[in-house]
Amino acid sequence: MIGNKEDPRKVFGKAVSEIALGDDRIVILSADSGKSSGFGDFMKAAPERYFEFGIMEQAVVGVASGLATTGKIPVFCAIAPFVTARPYEMFRNDLGYMGQNVKIVGRNGGITYSDLGATHHSLDDFGIISMIPGVTILAPQDPNEIRSAVKAMLAHQGPVYMRIGNAAIPNLFEESPFVIGEGRQITSGEDVTILSTGTLTASVLKAAQRLEAAGIHADVIGLPTVWPLDEEKIVASARKTGKVVTVEEHYVHGGLGSFVATLLAERCPTPVCRLAIPHLYATSGPYDQILKKYGLDAEGIFQSVKQFLG
Amino acid sequence: MTEKEMTRLKLQATQCRLNVLRMLRASHHGHIGGAFSAMDIVTALYFYKMRLDPKRPDMENRDRFVLSAGHKCLCQYSALAERGYFPKEILDTYGSLDSKIPGHPDMHKLPGIEANTGALGHGLSIALGMALGQRLSRTGANVYVVMGDGELAEGSNWEAAAAAAHHKVENLVAFIDFNGLQISGRVQDVMDFTPIAGHFKAFGWNTMEINGNCMEEVVQALDSIPADASRPTAIVAHTIKAKGLSFGEGDVAYHFWNTTDELMDRAEQELQALAEQYRKAVEA
Ligand SMILES: Cc1ncc(C[n+]2csc(CCOP(=O)(O)OP(=O)(O)O)c2C)c(N)n1
Ligand SMILES: [Mg+2]
Repeated sequence: MIGNKEDPRKVFGKAVSEIALGDDRIVILSADSGKSSGFGDFMKAAPERYFEFGIMEQAVVGVASGLATTGKIPVFCAIAPFVTARPYEMFRNDLGYMGQNVKIVGRNGGITYSDLGATHHSLDDFGIISMIPGVTILAPQDPNEIRSAVKAMLAHQGPVYMRIGNAAIPNLFEESPFVIGEGRQITSGEDVTILSTGTLTASVLKAAQRLEAAGIHADVIGLPTVWPLDEEKIVASARKTGKVVTVEEHYVHGGLGSFVATLLAERCPTPVCRLAIPHLYATSGPYDQILKKYGLDAEGIFQSVKQFLG
Repeated sequence: MTEKEMTRLKLQATQCRLNVLRMLRASHHGHIGGAFSAMDIVTALYFYKMRLDPKRPDMENRDRFVLSAGHKCLCQYSALAERGYFPKEILDTYGSLDSKIPGHPDMHKLPGIEANTGALGHGLSIALGMALGQRLSRTGANVYVVMGDGELAEGSNWEAAAAAAHHKVENLVAFIDFNGLQISGRVQDVMDFTPIAGHFKAFGWNTMEINGNCMEEVVQALDSIPADASRPTAIVAHTIKAKGLSFGEGDVAYHFWNTTDELMDRAEQELQALAEQYRKAVEA
């Protein structure tokens, strides 16, 4: 089911703002990034809980930690590499080690800032943030899931990193309660498991339809929680199909595919095929063309799965 | 410098602005505001001040240009193309797959690019390293950095500012493109960093304040950098964002321009007329 498209940043900002207007513990932090994160209305509605700092992401992560020690729930959203790679140590010490209830949201994640080049791509965020003990990583797959994931994120006690994109994305699912750590069984099949996260799930579903038409029944599981993994669902599916494909807008190295391969190596050795961006400074250009170049469009995923199955 | 030479520089700045429009024809979007505000400074550096040879972009004793505010890259690409570093046809690939001129500069794709910037607020540190290295190798090369005013909020800038003064790095010159605007609005409302010159001065820098869209003042500032000051120089350049795009000047909406052919026709006609005026004066 592929429905109308929505701008993920607006959906995100509106979802947070609606809850924040009724919960004055929530504070919004901006590093010249708030308006583009969907907080244009909130900054007018509750200016005392909207803090603009200008372009200083490292300091903002520290400030967020300090605010959280006073019972506030800071939400800081900016371009993904600038809230993950740049302030990595602050994230680790001030949010992870101090265990603070801060929500960091990387927008324009993955390769969606396609023509701005490698400084603006975020292809290592799952990897580096997963190295920080105690941080939950979310990558909702469609606008409705962004809405429900925002509710779960704000209700969750502890540091969370959520990644959203930039380009308008289609609704895939009805809105339903988001349970952190739980994967979503999207289709059931016995021939191959496909694990997907973030907005690439839309292309995975298209690929799965083509596979179905070609007589290949895929067990598609969406993983809007990238960390911690839904180990039971993944292992059960791998046992059933004996072949696992992972799909993500991240480096092939260190992301969902690596997490899954490690899990399966320990609990249920299974051949794994990781579809992701190769470990290089990715090229620039239109988003859809870059995805195609790296085989992450529906056609590329379809072909790779077929090839993997032999 | 003669009046004619000055007019030629202004013509070159106008041609560079036209090159920016040529790139935007290909993509229909891009960071025009900061590129146009800094265009006069960048033109003076590439066509007047810097020791360089487009045929030998790796010349050891070349002056270095670091674009700390990497999103202004359209101004650097346009100057490099105008100066002959690469064929102008490359300008027509802006925004397309595998382009050599991505939305932030990449030193591995194009001659003349010295650093991969785009993550703001950090070019000064890289430039400081280049300046220290040049001093150590006694090449006599200078390092010029162009920074945005919004990106001054990043801490790494001030770490480098302290270190540059401490190490008495006199071959380092930083232009601050003080256009007063960043993405979310006026810099003074987002994160006030005035007095900018006062801050650099307090860190031990030699400072100047100029109109950065006045070629005479830019040239004069470049000529008056003390040769043996034992300190780095910061030139706070008061500019107008999107300078040269008549309907976008000083308007925050033109930080990033999603444009149409009609709007670009208009912008191009205005700049062509200006170029024609300068051309006549140069040829007279
Ligand atoms: C570290 C980092 N944070 C945020 C951004 C996103 N960003 C790009 S341009 C910009 C505003 C820059 O303002 P200014 O320095 O004044 O440059 P201008 O365009 O006015 O010349 C921001 C926040 C970035 N590129 N890098
Ligand atoms: Mg500015």
